[in-house]
Amino acid sequence: MLVMPALIFTVVCFLLPVLALLLEAFRVDAPAAHWGLGRFADFFAEPLNRQVFLRTLRIAALVTLVSALLSYPAAQAIVRVAPRYRGMVLGMMILPLMVSPIARTYAWIVLFGRNGAINSVLLSLGLADEPQRLLFSEMAVFVGLLQLLLPLMLMSLVSSMENLSRDITLAASTLGANAWQVFTRVTLPLTQEGLIVGGTLVFTGCVTAYVTPALLGGPKVLMLETLLYQKVSVESDFGTANVIAVILVLMTLAVNAGLKRISSSRSTV
Amino acid sequence: MLKKASLAGLGLSLVTGLLSLTAASAHAEKRTLVLSAYPIAQPLFAKYVYTPFKEKCGCEIVVETGNNADRIAKLDARRDNPVVDLVLLSDFGMLEAARKGLIQPLDYGRLKNYGQIYNFARNPIGGNFAVGYTIYSVGLVYRTDKIKSLASWKDLWRADMKGHLSLPDVSTTQGPLALQMADIAWNGKGDDFATGMQKILDIRNNVVTFSKNSAQLSSLFAQDEIWAAPVARFTWAQLAKTGLPLKWSIPTEGQAAGMNVMGIVNKSRNADLAYQLIDFWLSKEVQTALAMDLVDSPVNTQVVLPKDKAEFNTYGADHIASLKFVKPETLLKHRSSWMEQWNKGISK
Repeated sequence: MLVMPALIFTVVCFLLPVLALLLEAFRVDAPAAHWGLGRFADFFAEPLNRQVFLRTLRIAALVTLVSALLSYPAAQAIVRVAPRYRGMVLGMMILPLMVSPIARTYAWIVLFGRNGAINSVLLSLGLADEPQRLLFSEMAVFVGLLQLLLPLMLMSLVSSMENLSRDITLAASTLGANAWQVFTRVTLPLTQEGLIVGGTLVFTGCVTAYVTPALLGGPKVLMLETLLYQKVSVESDFGTANVIAVILVLMTLAVNAGLKRISSSRSTV
Repeated sequence: MLKKASLAGLGLSLVTGLLSLTAASAHAEKRTLVLSAYPIAQPLFAKYVYTPFKEKCGCEIVVETGNNADRIAKLDARRDNPVVDLVLLSDFGMLEAARKGLIQPLDYGRLKNYGQIYNFARNPIGGNFAVGYTIYSVGLVYRTDKIKSLASWKDLWRADMKGHLSLPDVSTTQGPLALQMADIAWNGKGDDFATGMQKILDIRNNVVTFSKNSAQLSSLFAQDEIWAAPVARFTWAQLAKTGLPLKWSIPTEGQAAGMNVMGIVNKSRNADLAYQLIDFWLSKEVQTALAMDLVDSPVNTQVVLPKDKAEFNTYGADHIASLKFVKPETLLKHRSSWMEQWNKGISK
């Protein structure tokens, strides 16, 4: 009974408005008003929209994968640090989250610029003869999103690993498992919750990010969120914007379900 | 004694209550004008417009801010019982709002300063729905140490511009203005600016990026990413501060021009106050103060600016003579199609 006020608040103030908004995507006005998937068919019939959808999926999946690959060793190292220093190390890792995404994105513009630090290193090492154009590319968007969202994966994995007794991995090693087997057979299944939560957060963050793709990619690297913004602010096309919003929600749910499936298949090995 | 004290206390409470009621009703009588405006430079608008006007009218001003699309959507949602009285939009934004029946026609006879403003700011969207309160030009800015001259919009298509040029994205307010100038420069004939669009798509690989806002443009120049770009006049002061050798050029074909306008919301309960504020805003004094602090370029022809302020405003005979406005109806008619062609041509 104590959950009822919170439940009512969530349903009335959050779920119902969001549902009402998303339902609009399924309302077709022509030839006669009815419910259906007509708007979705129209959206995917357009080659540009398919290209934008696939690009969004590709970049978000890659950022999620790379953030998991980088975060596992980092999280393992962090949980081995003495508890009194662990908070400080973790605090340093998640410090970027406290800086505005706009400021962080502008920092990348400075770093990636023709006069920026990365080009200076490339030139001084003789890896390039002239400053390279690093901005306004998929690579720039990928790096910007990875830096933006990596701490979310890291926090989730650290939280999972803190509950994993070190004796378990030691026992697996003692019983003859090599490092890879310890990771895939023991660590991964036992930290799957952290991976699912972190993966879902990172993927959702990627597909819904606006500032980073808009500034580091520009119109040449159009993504679903930047397309959605255009539809609303320039064309006042709320119908298509609703379709994109539903696609973003479905992509997130699909990734969450996919990660759960991968984890459950691992844990039953 | 106790009884007396209680009675005295009750009497005091009653008097206090009555006094606060009187104060509350006096407060309630103070009228409130609700303004819908762009978020930019609001503290300066408060300083030069709202505060002096509040003293003049004895009323309160509440400001609701947002971009064109957000604010038009809000006006539409409250069309039968509007909260906003006076709305400030781009000329095409106001035409969109007027076509939705959200704006009432103005009686220009109620504006004393109407006769002092430029002709193009009078009835700028037709139907007596609006009055222009500021303008801006979009000219060409270039690095004098890298580029010898930039005298024509066509010069942006020169081979030496490749990899050093930025153009405004068509989704921004300045995008369609630059598109119009490309069309004029390359002898386009239709109002759909098809020639200009094709010409821009032809050099998409020469363009470093299609910029979204003035802050991005400043950082592109500062980072040596670009040497030339069409720039809105209100960004010029910010660019000049970078310390780079930059020059403003008025091309031979002229400059693109944009205008922001004011209109009174349909069924506004404070239309009389809104008229007073519009008139105050158009006055020589307010327009001069806003121009001197580089907030908005003036539409009042009586405004006189010193050279150091004129440099950063859309001001002066040569600037005004060069202005080429995109018709708001043209922009509304083709905006979706331009966006579609742009996305298809540029997002490869």
